[in-house]
Amino acid sequence: MQPTNATGVPDFLERMRETLPEGRVPAKIFNDPNVYALERERVFSRAWAFLAHESEIPHPGDYVLRWITDNSVIVIRDEHGQIHAHLNRCTHRGNQVCKAEMGNASHFRCSYHGWTFKNTGELMGVPYYREVYKESLNRSEWGLRAVRVETYAGLVFGTLDPDAETLQEYLGGFQFYLDFFLKPGPGGTEVYGPPERWIADADWKICAENFGGDGYHTPVTHQFGFHLGFYPSSGTTHFMGYAVHMPGRGHTIGIGHTPGLPPFSGFPQEVVDGMHATLSPEQIAVFKDARMAVGTVFPNLSFLTQPFSLTPKQTGVKFCTMRLWHPRGPGQIEMFSWCLVPKDAPQSVKDELYRVYNLAFGPAGTFEQDDFENWTNLSRQNGGSTAADFDLAYFQGLDWEPLQDFPGPGHAFTPYVTEIGFRNLWGTWLNYMLTPVGQQVDRSRVPPAFHPVDAKGQP
Amino acid sequence: MEGSRQPGTPPAVGHTYVPIPIRMSIEDFLYYEAGVLDDQAYEAWLELFTEDMRYEVPVRVTRERNAEWDVSPTARIIHDSKDMLRVRISRLKTEYAWAEDPPSRTRHFLSNVQVLPGENDGEYQVRYNLLIYRSRGELPRYDLLSGKRRDVLRETPDGWRIASREVILDQSVLAVHNLSFFL
Ligand code: FES
Ligand SMILES: [Fe+2]
Repeated sequence: MQPTNATGVPDFLERMRETLPEGRVPAKIFNDPNVYALERERVFSRAWAFLAHESEIPHPGDYVLRWITDNSVIVIRDEHGQIHAHLNRCTHRGNQVCKAEMGNASHFRCSYHGWTFKNTGELMGVPYYREVYKESLNRSEWGLRAVRVETYAGLVFGTLDPDAETLQEYLGGFQFYLDFFLKPGPGGTEVYGPPERWIADADWKICAENFGGDGYHTPVTHQFGFHLGFYPSSGTTHFMGYAVHMPGRGHTIGIGHTPGLPPFSGFPQEVVDGMHATLSPEQIAVFKDARMAVGTVFPNLSFLTQPFSLTPKQTGVKFCTMRLWHPRGPGQIEMFSWCLVPKDAPQSVKDELYRVYNLAFGPAGTFEQDDFENWTNLSRQNGGSTAADFDLAYFQGLDWEPLQDFPGPGHAFTPYVTEIGFRNLWGTWLNYMLTPVGQQVDRSRVPPAFHPVDAKGQP
Repeated sequence: MEGSRQPGTPPAVGHTYVPIPIRMSIEDFLYYEAGVLDDQAYEAWLELFTEDMRYEVPVRVTRERNAEWDVSPTARIIHDSKDMLRVRISRLKTEYAWAEDPPSRTRHFLSNVQVLPGENDGEYQVRYNLLIYRSRGELPRYDLLSGKRRDVLRETPDGWRIASREVILDQSVLAVHNLSFFL
């Protein structure tokens, strides 16, 4: 599908500014060509986009091809070990210089007229340089266009916005929660093989929201798991735990608890030891009782750690999946799904974690199948002509009080099942959408996601 | 399984790999099996596998011609034992397999069958092309997946049984919203 340019801000987005704080979201945001065009222009051109995990390109010259919306990006490690990202577009006529999704290269030679670029992006070779350019071409100005890159705990992010705040600022304290997924030991994590990739007619936002901590769907969408005896949790306690969000930034996480589970249950002993070595006492306090955790980095990168086993009624192990909900067009995504494993773990542990991940996630995963059934149907329904005037119910937790003595940053609530984080997620998104390119995204304009009622019952 | 570049080295041309009656009986079995699967008779289908079976769908990637592999040696979309296949089938029988309710309608088309002697007595390697059509609901769109199967069939007192199946799909980015049907 060819995206068009944004033709202005749809009325239902203006209305959403008023209705979101009251817990109403226009259905149309989940599948609309103009919304997609605006996202391309105002969200994905300014946010930090996830590109790759460092372990995907461990050696000099290793590269992977990734996307920032519809821009192909080469993510590559140079001879000195430094990671670069370049637009995959020859500066001569724009031909695609790299066509493989992964590999190793010291140079890229364009197949059209033969301009040759070093893996650092520099333009090195121009055929008939002297004869046809006669000094008029300054090679140093015509390297591959660099994308600004920063990393956190093995994650490589890029942004198209040269004025963007640093990645550390952008994550804004959410690192505290990401560490649970990314620091299972001093060596951190690595990917287990290349990502699984597939296309679905689903809007990226519903996926990002779901993995922002939609514990509400689990006992229904994934009822088969309870039914066959896969979970160390029952429907009656499933809502327990914490929901945390970073106000104005969109990052959100759900942390599910099951009463009576031993601390860090389901992790191999090596990983438990590793977490004790790398996590702070505050992080341990937040995560030791977590049965599972699921979170989204704004806009479209998510993580999930949960226990699962190859057959029902086993204790199971806790795997970690990282996923990118890459927007391909209005109401369409390309999925990237990785399994992250602790780098320091023995190979047998990595193999087991991957196999369990695989039964649950990826296109054939027993969880993922049902999620995509819902997300594709929902996206189709929300593309309908009545969806612009149709508000969806986002009321959960509107009047909740944040926890006062929670050890982690952000606003934390209990229990885990609530929609507070989603109001912050869509408030953050709306703030980008309503801020024209060229103006600074002012995070203080994101409305609070909750309105506690005081003792007299007054908001 | 070794990672591999497809299509690997072809077997020698003009060689009759196994006696014709065996080859025909294997083809008969594979067509029967495809029919059982398309008829959604999953329990009967499960019976057509040996207890020690494995069922693997490796991740495929797009790489340069000279790359060492383009079918991942480690990453799998599906990596099932018979117990795991049993889980998938018992899942379909619950009321909560939303992805397959109403069920997908599939057709498995098999062609270009090559039968080769197996590594053990009574076993044969079978390589053939696979085309799967899938229709869901009332949508006019459909999924079409092509690939290659590499099976090991074993002779048992009950007839042929599948001891291993590897399905190598041709797309590196799959144009399907899920693989809730069997490949
Ligand atoms: S387009 Fe690349 S060299 Fe001309
Ligand atoms: Fe889910």
